[in-house]
Amino acid sequence: MTPYDIQGLQGRRVKDRIFTSLVWGLTFSCLAVVFIILFYIFEKGIGSLNWAIFSQNPKPVGENGGGMLNAIVGSLMVVSIAAILAIPVGVSVGIYLAENRGRKLSDRIALAVDVLQGIPSIVIGIVIYVWIVKPTGKFSSYSGSIALAIMMLPPIIKNTEETLILIPTTLKEASLALGASYFRTTMKVMLPAGIGGIFSGCIIGIARIAGEVAPLLFTAFGNPALNFNILKPVDTIPKVIFTYASSPYDDWHRIAWGGSVILVSFIILLNTIIKIFESRWKVQF
Amino acid sequence: MKTSIFKTLAFAGTALVIGLSSCGNGGDKTTDANAANDADKQILGAGATFPYPLYSKMFSEYGKTSGIQTNYQSIGSGGGVKQIMNKTVDFGASDAFLSDADIAAMPAPVVEFPTCLGADVISYNLPGNPELKLTPEIIAGIFLRNITKWNDKKIAAENPGVSLPDMDISVAHRTDGSGTTFIFTDYLSKISDDWKTKIGAGKSVNWPEGELGGKGNEGVAGMIKQTPGTIGYIELAYAIQNNMSYAQVKNAAGNYIKPTIQSTSLCANGDIPADTRISITNSNVDQAYPISSFTWIILYKEQNYNNRSKDKATNLVKELWWMIHEGQAQTAPLNYAPLPPKAVTAAEAVLKSITFGGQPILQ
Repeated sequence: MTPYDIQGLQGRRVKDRIFTSLVWGLTFSCLAVVFIILFYIFEKGIGSLNWAIFSQNPKPVGENGGGMLNAIVGSLMVVSIAAILAIPVGVSVGIYLAENRGRKLSDRIALAVDVLQGIPSIVIGIVIYVWIVKPTGKFSSYSGSIALAIMMLPPIIKNTEETLILIPTTLKEASLALGASYFRTTMKVMLPAGIGGIFSGCIIGIARIAGEVAPLLFTAFGNPALNFNILKPVDTIPKVIFTYASSPYDDWHRIAWGGSVILVSFIILLNTIIKIFESRWKVQF
Repeated sequence: MKTSIFKTLAFAGTALVIGLSSCGNGGDKTTDANAANDADKQILGAGATFPYPLYSKMFSEYGKTSGIQTNYQSIGSGGGVKQIMNKTVDFGASDAFLSDADIAAMPAPVVEFPTCLGADVISYNLPGNPELKLTPEIIAGIFLRNITKWNDKKIAAENPGVSLPDMDISVAHRTDGSGTTFIFTDYLSKISDDWKTKIGAGKSVNWPEGELGGKGNEGVAGMIKQTPGTIGYIELAYAIQNNMSYAQVKNAAGNYIKPTIQSTSLCANGDIPADTRISITNSNVDQAYPISSFTWIILYKEQNYNNRSKDKATNLVKELWWMIHEGQAQTAPLNYAPLPPKAVTAAEAVLKSITFGGQPILQ
């Protein structure tokens, strides 16, 4: 070895160490931020969780107690209807994109999905306001669901497409060769093989919209009373947090923190479900 | 294995749909029987953030005796005007009365009336928390950045005995469009020509350079609390709730007035025009606190639109009537100023002018 080589080697080792520690440091700071935020939310909010939050409607200022039953019910309603609307459409578009790669129309659809993903949520809310709320003259839970369904589409479409692409074509060919129709092949071979990825796409979509307030401000609107009618306005958890956190009253701040804990727990739960499904339903090829 | 997953999913989906629809039937029975089934008893309103706590209390109280279920959403004054314009709500609410342009843009004639009063206080963070006395000139000077030191001669002259520190004044204001800002800039425009020509009045204005911005009352209050030497304007109710120190202000009659519910209410003791569109900042009433304003409710004069029933219109107007009478008892405990008698009379006349199919609703 010439001295020149050794020198170069040392330099590389130093660089290697620098970058390793940099990667470790950045990873740690990233994780630290997540844990500090979670810790802060739970520290502030866990104390305000009580049965009243889950069982009572909000009470006006100056009256003790009160909860966010109306908002919990409203959030479940708006989000589940959004999922029912978005999942069939999203999965279908994903299948189309996976099956028709390279076509002009597919490219345009893929571009449209990318653009849709970039549209700010408040803009989607305003569009739905102009399309649905203004012509009907009524704020309603279903108009909020439609706005959220539009927001859910991109992750569902992309996950479906990417999952289906990864399935070996030999599997599809085998099914077709056995005489199964194209429809049967897609429904009975391709979709079940990709169900893990498709399902996690749906849950990522739900996790994405569960905390949204902007598209709901002018659609689902809000309602201090318990409401199960999709034609009427409803409150949602993020909306209640938004309103209560900016009020001057300690009691409302307390409920807002409690709502944050509920919302964050829900998102963590969804992410855990994704991980479980991904490991359980992963089809190995 | 795969098909069983599909079956499970399909089953879960069906169960969810059935569950939701059965909820829909079951829910109506369990919710307040008087209210939920009857669309005529459900009132929807939206607008100003400032009176939101008061309105939510008032509507809750009124609902207990009348069975009327009122949903008021605090989306901001501008939003309230927009929603009544689009006929998506039964009434709108705003901290500023409608401009002539707004009235012209409405699809049908509207009426508006005040429900309570609010005040802006000038809050600050100084060592020892002295109670300062400020003249209109000093306030305009500080917010125009002409007075930049706490021990400025003009401030010292009005506050003998208070030891003012040799400290820079930093100024905090609202960055979001707000009725609070409108009241404050409306006041400054009346007392200072310099302000009127350079900045003007509005829900959000171009503030002089070098000022701090905060979102909402809590944003401005946070800046004042964190930085010694900071001054800013916040709502009276907010300042009282959060134990902040605030200044006495010299009013148009030349008296130093501490902002309270009573001194705020006095502002409106002058004459009120029939359409109630009046700015009461810088009131010349003897003991009135000058930086105060009404907050308004806006609705259509003719209530027979969009297939509304007469019952609904009657319920709405009766509720609004209750707000300016019995409902006023809710103001003081929440640190809002009640309407003075003259304003109640003016609001009564407005409500009596509301019609259904050309016939007055209130007899």
